[in-house]
Amino acid sequence: MALNFICGWLSAIFCSPIRLLHALLPRLFAGAPSTSFVEASPNSKETRMPKFYHDDEAWADIEPLAQDDGGMHPLAAIAYTEEYSEAMGYLRAVMAQSEFSERVLELTEHIISMNPAHYTVWLYRAKVTSEIGRSLQDEIAWLNPTALKHLKNYQIWHHRQTIINALGSPEGEPEFISTMLEQDSKNYHVWSYRQWLVKRFDLFDKPEELTWTDNMIQDDVRNNSAWNHRYYLVAGRGGKLRAEIADREIEYTKAAIRKAPQNQSPWNYISGIVRVAQLPKSTLKDFALEFADVQTPEEVYSSHALDILADIYSEEENSKESAEKALDLLATKYDPIRANYWNFRKGLLEQPTA
Amino acid sequence: MPKVPDEMQLLVDKHVRYIQSLDTRKDELEYWLTEHLRLNGLYWGLTALHLLRHADALPRKELLDFVFSCLHESGGFGAAPGHDAHMLYTVSGVQLLATLDAFDDLEARVQGGRQKIGKFIAGLQDPQTGTFAGDEWGEQDTRFLYGALNALSLMGLLHLVDVDKAVQHVHACANFDGGYGTSPGAESHSGQVFTCLGALTIAGRLDLVDQEKLGAWLSERQLKNGGLNGRPEKKEDVCYSWWVMSSMAMLDRLHWIDGDKLTSFILQCQDPELGGLADRPGDMVDVFHTVFGIAGLSLLKYPGLDEVDPVYCMPRSVTRRCLGK
Repeated sequence: MALNFICGWLSAIFCSPIRLLHALLPRLFAGAPSTSFVEASPNSKETRMPKFYHDDEAWADIEPLAQDDGGMHPLAAIAYTEEYSEAMGYLRAVMAQSEFSERVLELTEHIISMNPAHYTVWLYRAKVTSEIGRSLQDEIAWLNPTALKHLKNYQIWHHRQTIINALGSPEGEPEFISTMLEQDSKNYHVWSYRQWLVKRFDLFDKPEELTWTDNMIQDDVRNNSAWNHRYYLVAGRGGKLRAEIADREIEYTKAAIRKAPQNQSPWNYISGIVRVAQLPKSTLKDFALEFADVQTPEEVYSSHALDILADIYSEEENSKESAEKALDLLATKYDPIRANYWNFRKGLLEQPTA
Repeated sequence: MPKVPDEMQLLVDKHVRYIQSLDTRKDELEYWLTEHLRLNGLYWGLTALHLLRHADALPRKELLDFVFSCLHESGGFGAAPGHDAHMLYTVSGVQLLATLDAFDDLEARVQGGRQKIGKFIAGLQDPQTGTFAGDEWGEQDTRFLYGALNALSLMGLLHLVDVDKAVQHVHACANFDGGYGTSPGAESHSGQVFTCLGALTIAGRLDLVDQEKLGAWLSERQLKNGGLNGRPEKKEDVCYSWWVMSSMAMLDRLHWIDGDKLTSFILQCQDPELGGLADRPGDMVDVFHTVFGIAGLSLLKYPGLDEVDPVYCMPRSVTRRCLGK
């Protein structure tokens, strides 16, 4: 079955957008015969009755507005499509008369439950929330399960940010974030939101924040998002890193690398720390030699260690040959898919250093 | 010449038919649920058709009618009629007009149309930080910044915004690993690398990039099966063929990855029956992965495809016409 036009820049950059619809469709499609989508998610057990407005007394005063797209109105083939298009008709009508009310809030909730990526609905919901003076805590309480249902959605996070900003307190947010990350520990939106919280409420030096980040790394030492967050806490405010912090971070990272030497994230991290602390690259020489030594080319436990050694050797007086050996090993044996890159680095060795 | 195995061939005719079929599925629910992406979808489909050298496979007049029906009085485009104006759709709108060589049509229908669109985009720049919001709601992201420079440069209206300030913001998003994220300090991600490098390329400021370090990070995205991922320790996906490779092309370092292996990976993601490409072999196809897979193959110089512009993800012939270079 072909999915047309489903994947936005929106979801596209950060995930395979198909999964966005997986999260969304089963609920809508429960019982629809014409799809092979139904088994996709645990949510598919959740069936509910479609909701219609034309026979609802509370909506009797509203004449739904049809989509104005030049008169092309193919009849909806599936009952749930009717539900969706009817709800949208009522939304267009209340938007046209700028109605802000409890029932409109419920209407936006209904539409978001069917299609959370519809950004216009979120925008209108935010307006309604503010116009009717809805309690911000209530809005967050509603948002929590909604976010859990739609893990890759952008709009939810911006909405949340606006409300928490207005509330002026991050209370409860770390717990909610942990619940979200249990679903997907690398969810880009969630980590970006966490960074926003750190900055907004100045949590950089709060011990709990670093401890939490440590726990995330302990859970999965290959979680690049967690390493990035650690860097943000430690060095995100700019300036030269203090020596004792740099020492602490270097030792911490060494322990993580010893657990899994062929893991890009902590190698990137440790090099970043050395640089921002303005230490020489050779700081890491003995450590890298634990995992790779050009004298014993059969026993290399990390291509990243070879990479760093090549870098260090290239800056030493009489070690050009060792640098070449390290790069050769990478190009031919330990990372041949990038042979052209390693050969480029070898070419740089020939150039006089500036 | 030895016969190329079937899975190594690009199924051009099937992909063309697949894209043509997308707008005829109005009896299916996804069609309506994805309405908020319609204008993006048209841009993806039309670009793919141009690269496949079937530029006329969609009717120009109907396309233009639809594009104009998404244009608001404010100068912004919504995803479809009745949807609010937003940066992402405004960029797609401008890209569609450029590809259809329709800026004159725009002026004929809306007097001062280009200026209007330019003003809408310029109004979304944050004067403090230089970055851009997506809409009046205020969500900010380097995607929007890139989109703004992309669309404005195609219309010759870059002077409407503070390019230097935007450049400073992008520069502030550079990370310790050489990559870029959505905002300063946010994790490096190939998609955001594309947007940041694209913005810097349009602004003529690639000198700010640690090109060797970033090139190395980008080339590390290739996995053993030839596919590319978006971040360390994540799975491969066809759309990263575009985000990663276009970035490497802007840095003139495309040769740092194994092009043959990647070509083979992309071709395996085709639906051999109905056309279209998926994120990885065996998954369901969609127009988004279709265009980025084909654009990736164009960068890899796959025979029979038109040249793609790595900065704009549009046919090179189109950007040459708009930019005069």
